[in-house]
Amino acid sequence: MAMKGVNPYEMAQAQFDKVAALLDLDRATRELLRQPLREYGFSIPVRMDDGRVQVFRGFRVQHNDARGPSKGGIRFHPQETLDTVRALAMWMTWKCALVDIPLGGGKGGVVCDPHHLSQREQEQICRGWVRQMARNVGPDADVPAPDVMTSGQHMLWMLDEFEQIHGGHFPGFITGKPVGLGGSEGRTEATGYGVVFAIREALKQLGLEVRKTRASVQGFGNVAQYAIRLYRQIGGTVTTVSCWDQEDQVSYSFRKEQGVDPDQLASIADRFGGIDKAKAKALGYEVLPGEAWLEQPVEILIPAALENQVRGDNAPCIKATVKLIAEGANGPTTPEADAVVQDKGIFLIPDFLANAGGVTCSYFEQVQSNMNYFWEKDEVLAKLDVKMTSAFHAVSELSRKRRLFTRDAAYVIAISRVAQACRDRGWV
Amino acid sequence: MSTADQRVPAFARRFFDPARRLSRIGSGALGGKARGLITAARVLEEQRAPLETAGLAFDVPALAVVTTEVFESFLERNGLRAVVAEEPSDEVIKVAFREATLPAEWLGDLRSLAKDARVPLACRSSSALEDALGRPFAGVYGTKMIPGNQPDADGRFRALIDAVKFVFASTFLQGARAYRRALGQSEAEAMAVVVQEVVGRRHDGRFYPDLSGVARSFSFYPVGPARPEDGVVDLALGLGKTIVDGGLCWSFSPAHPRVGPPVGSVRERLRTTQSEFWAVNVGPPPAYDPMAETEYLTRACLAEAEADGTLRYAASTYDADSDRLVPGTGRPGPRVLDFAPVLLWNELPLVGAVRGLMAACEKTLGAPVEIEFAFSLPPGELFRLGVLQVRPLLVSHDAVLVEDAELSAPQAVVASVAALGNGSCELHDVVYVEPAAFEARLTPAIAAEIERLNRPLVEAGRPYLLIGFGRWGSSDPWLGIPVRWDQIAGARAIVEATLPQMNTEPSQGSHFFHNLSSFSVLYFTVSQAAGRGIDWGWLEEQQTVARTDHVRHVRARAPLRVKADGRSRRGVVLRA
Repeated sequence: MAMKGVNPYEMAQAQFDKVAALLDLDRATRELLRQPLREYGFSIPVRMDDGRVQVFRGFRVQHNDARGPSKGGIRFHPQETLDTVRALAMWMTWKCALVDIPLGGGKGGVVCDPHHLSQREQEQICRGWVRQMARNVGPDADVPAPDVMTSGQHMLWMLDEFEQIHGGHFPGFITGKPVGLGGSEGRTEATGYGVVFAIREALKQLGLEVRKTRASVQGFGNVAQYAIRLYRQIGGTVTTVSCWDQEDQVSYSFRKEQGVDPDQLASIADRFGGIDKAKAKALGYEVLPGEAWLEQPVEILIPAALENQVRGDNAPCIKATVKLIAEGANGPTTPEADAVVQDKGIFLIPDFLANAGGVTCSYFEQVQSNMNYFWEKDEVLAKLDVKMTSAFHAVSELSRKRRLFTRDAAYVIAISRVAQACRDRGWV
Repeated sequence: MSTADQRVPAFARRFFDPARRLSRIGSGALGGKARGLITAARVLEEQRAPLETAGLAFDVPALAVVTTEVFESFLERNGLRAVVAEEPSDEVIKVAFREATLPAEWLGDLRSLAKDARVPLACRSSSALEDALGRPFAGVYGTKMIPGNQPDADGRFRALIDAVKFVFASTFLQGARAYRRALGQSEAEAMAVVVQEVVGRRHDGRFYPDLSGVARSFSFYPVGPARPEDGVVDLALGLGKTIVDGGLCWSFSPAHPRVGPPVGSVRERLRTTQSEFWAVNVGPPPAYDPMAETEYLTRACLAEAEADGTLRYAASTYDADSDRLVPGTGRPGPRVLDFAPVLLWNELPLVGAVRGLMAACEKTLGAPVEIEFAFSLPPGELFRLGVLQVRPLLVSHDAVLVEDAELSAPQAVVASVAALGNGSCELHDVVYVEPAAFEARLTPAIAAEIERLNRPLVEAGRPYLLIGFGRWGSSDPWLGIPVRWDQIAGARAIVEATLPQMNTEPSQGSHFFHNLSSFSVLYFTVSQAAGRGIDWGWLEEQQTVARTDHVRHVRARAPLRVKADGRSRRGVVLRA
C-alpha cells in the first residue's frame, strides 16, 4: 500500500544512500544494492463466484539473495504498488542481515481487497500466484510468508499448489503455516517476545531495573499483546495501551496507573485488537484520546501499530521520563521525529531490530520444515532470544563505538554484511 | 531474595567467565545448596593462606543457579500447580513437567550456558525449604548429570532443559512429598537448580573424579578409635553418588586416617569395599529417557577403573599367599578400594587438605560442618580439589545418659551397645520384620511392605520404631533391606539386627544414615553375638494394627521411651 505523500521505495533508497556514504561503498555495490536483483509482475485470472473472470495483478520482488534464499511476505491490499513491494523487499534484506540469518530479502503482493472476496476466490488468487511464480520461488530460492491480510490458510493453499506443480512435499517452501501442518512452535509469540528481549538488554545497558520501569504501548494486535505479556512477566508495568476503534474510526488510549492486564483487555477486544470502551471503563480503565499513549510519564514507549506514528509534530510531547523507544511496528518513527528523539537522549531500538523476532522465527520454521523435524517451544524461544540479544549488542556496541544513532548503526551492520556477501561471491 | 542472594551476579552468558564463576539466572532465591556453595567460595577466598597446600588447588567449580523465580514462573505459566495439587503418580508429574515450557525470558541464558559448556554438568536441586530449615535434604530431590559431549549446542541445550525440568519435577514426587510431610512441612516448596561443572577427567566413554568424598567435622558415628569431634570422611572412587546413595565406600577419621572401618577378616574387607563406581557417560548416547536420573550415568567395575589408570591412588591388592592387602596396584590380584596409597603413604596431600578445609569451614561457619568434595588428578597440572558443598552440621548435644544396667533391665525391649546418634523420644508404634518369616531373598518385597505401612503412619503423624535385619538401605538386597529413605520416612528410631541367615556388617556411617541422623533418627545395631537384643516375646504380645506377609505393625498401650547416648554408644528402648 502506498504511504500518503511518500514513495516508500524512494525513502528506502535515500536511507540506503546515507549509509552507503557512511560505509564508503563503491559505485557498483551501491548500484547493485539500491535496487532489486529481480522483479516479477504478472496477471492472475480468477473465475469469480458469480461466473465472470477477474484479472488480479501480482508481484514478487527479490531484492538481494547474496546471503541466502529471499524471504518475505505476500500482501493482499487494494492499494498495493510495485514501489511499496520494492521498498519492503529491501528492508527485508537488511533485517535478515542484521539478525544474521542466512536469508536475503523479498516481498510479494496482489492488488486485491480480501474483504470483498470469498474464501474460494482468495484460494484461487493464492493458487494463481503460485502458478505464475512456481519456477522462481522454492525452499532454495525464495520463501514467502504471510503479511498484510494473508494468513496461515493462504500459505497452506500456496504450499499445496506448489507441491502439486513440483510433485512432492516441500514444507520449507513457505512459512507461517499452522503448528501441526509445518508451522513452528513459538511463531505467534516471536515478534512480541523479540521486542521484549531487546528491551531487556537495552535496560541493562541503561542501568535501569525492569521492575522500576513503566511502558506505554501503541497497538493491541498480536505483537503488542505478546510484548505486553512478556514485559509484565519480567517485572515491568504497562500503564497505557492505545488501539484503533473500528466503529468510531479513531484510536483511543486505555490507561491504568497500577498496570493493565492484557488478558483482561483481550477478553473485551475484537479480532483486530479494538478494545470495547464501555467495558474497559467498567474495569477501571481511563479512556483517553488516541495520541495520549505518546504523552505518558513512562520510561518506555512501544509503538507497535502502524508506520509514521511518532512524527516531528508530536515527538516533542514525549515526556522527559522516557528513556527508551522500542519500535515494534515497521517505520513508526519519521526522520523528523528521529531528530527529536536523539535530542532528548532517548535510546531507540530501531524497527528492523526490535521486530526481527518474526522473521527470525520464520527462518526457524523454514529450517524445521526442510528437516521435517520440529523443535519444542523451549528450543525455538531460546534460539530466538540468543539471536535477538546478539543482534542488539552488535547494534549497541557499534552505536557506542562510532557515536552513531542506533538506527544508523543497525543499517551500517546490515548493509555492510550484504555488501560483503556480494563481494565474496564476486558480484562486485 | 535475600541480600546474600543479591550479591551473586546475574549470569552474563559466559559459563566460564573468570570474573563470575558463581552467577544466577533469575532474581529469586538460590536455595540451600547454592547458599552452601557461596559459603564454600567465601571460605576459599577468606582462608586462602591457611589452606595453601603444595601441589593442590582448591576451587568451587563454575556454576550458575537457576533461581526459584524461574521455578515459580514455570509452574504458574504452565498451570502445573493444579496438576501437582492432585498428587498424581510420579510418572504423570514427570510427563507434565517434561512437556511444559520454561519461561521465555530465561531460555536465552540457558541456551548460552549450554552453548558455552562443553563439559559434563551436574544439575542439582537447591531447595528453599532446605535453606529455611537449615537441614540437608540430601537424596530427597533429583540430581541429574548431563554429558556436555553433544557436538551441537542444540543437543546440549535439550539435555540441559530436560535436566532442569527433571529437578523441578522431583520437588513433587512421592518421596519428596513424604519427606516434607515427615518434617511437618505443609507449605509450598520452591526449587532452584545449581548447574555446575563436574570435576573429573575423561577416560574413553566415562568422565569421573579420581576420588569423591563427604567430610563431617563431627560424627556420632565414629570409626575405630576416633572421637565424635574428630569427624569422619567417606571416600569413593568416581562420582559422589556412591556415597550419597549409601553405597559401599571407605570411612575414616581424619585424625586416624590409617584406621579403616572394622571388619572380621581381610576376605570380608574384599566383600565390603566398593566394587563399582559411577561416572558420567560421555560415550555413545544412551537411550532417550529425559525423566530418568541416571540417563547419562554409567556404572563401571574396578577392572575398567584400572584400565583408566584411576586405581593408582585408590586401591590395595589382595595377596592370597599372605592373606593380606598390599597397598597399590603393582602386583596382580583382586583390588580393594581402601585408598591406602593416600591414607597410609600420603602419596596425595588429601588428608591434610581435607583437615584444613574442615577447620577453615568450621571457623567461618562457627559450627561443625559437612563438606562434599571431588578430587581430580589432571596429568601435568596441579591436583584439583573441587568443593561441591559446605553446610553446617546439625549436632544434638542433649545430655542423654544410658546406664549399662538399663540394657539388661526387664523393661528393655531393645538394647544396643552400638547405638548411633544422640537423643531420646517417646513413641507407641513399632514396625518390625518378623524373624520367623525373614529370608534374604525376600528383602525387596519386604522393602515394599514397609513402605505400605510407613505411609499411613506418616499421614497420621505417628513416629515409630523400625526393626529389621541386615544393612538398612543396602544397594545389595542380599546384604539387607534395600529401602529408600522415603519408604521409612516416619521412623524415629531404627534397629538393625542380625539373624543367622543375615549376619552382615552393620551399615555404620554411610551418608544415607547420616541423613537420618540429621532428622535425629536414632539408630541401634543389635547383634546376636552381643548377647543383648530384642524382646521378641513382648513384641508378639502387642496389639496388631496392620500386618503384611513379613512385616507387623503393633501399638503399645503405654509409650516406649527410646534413648541413645552418643558418647557411650549405648542405646535402649524401654517399655513403661
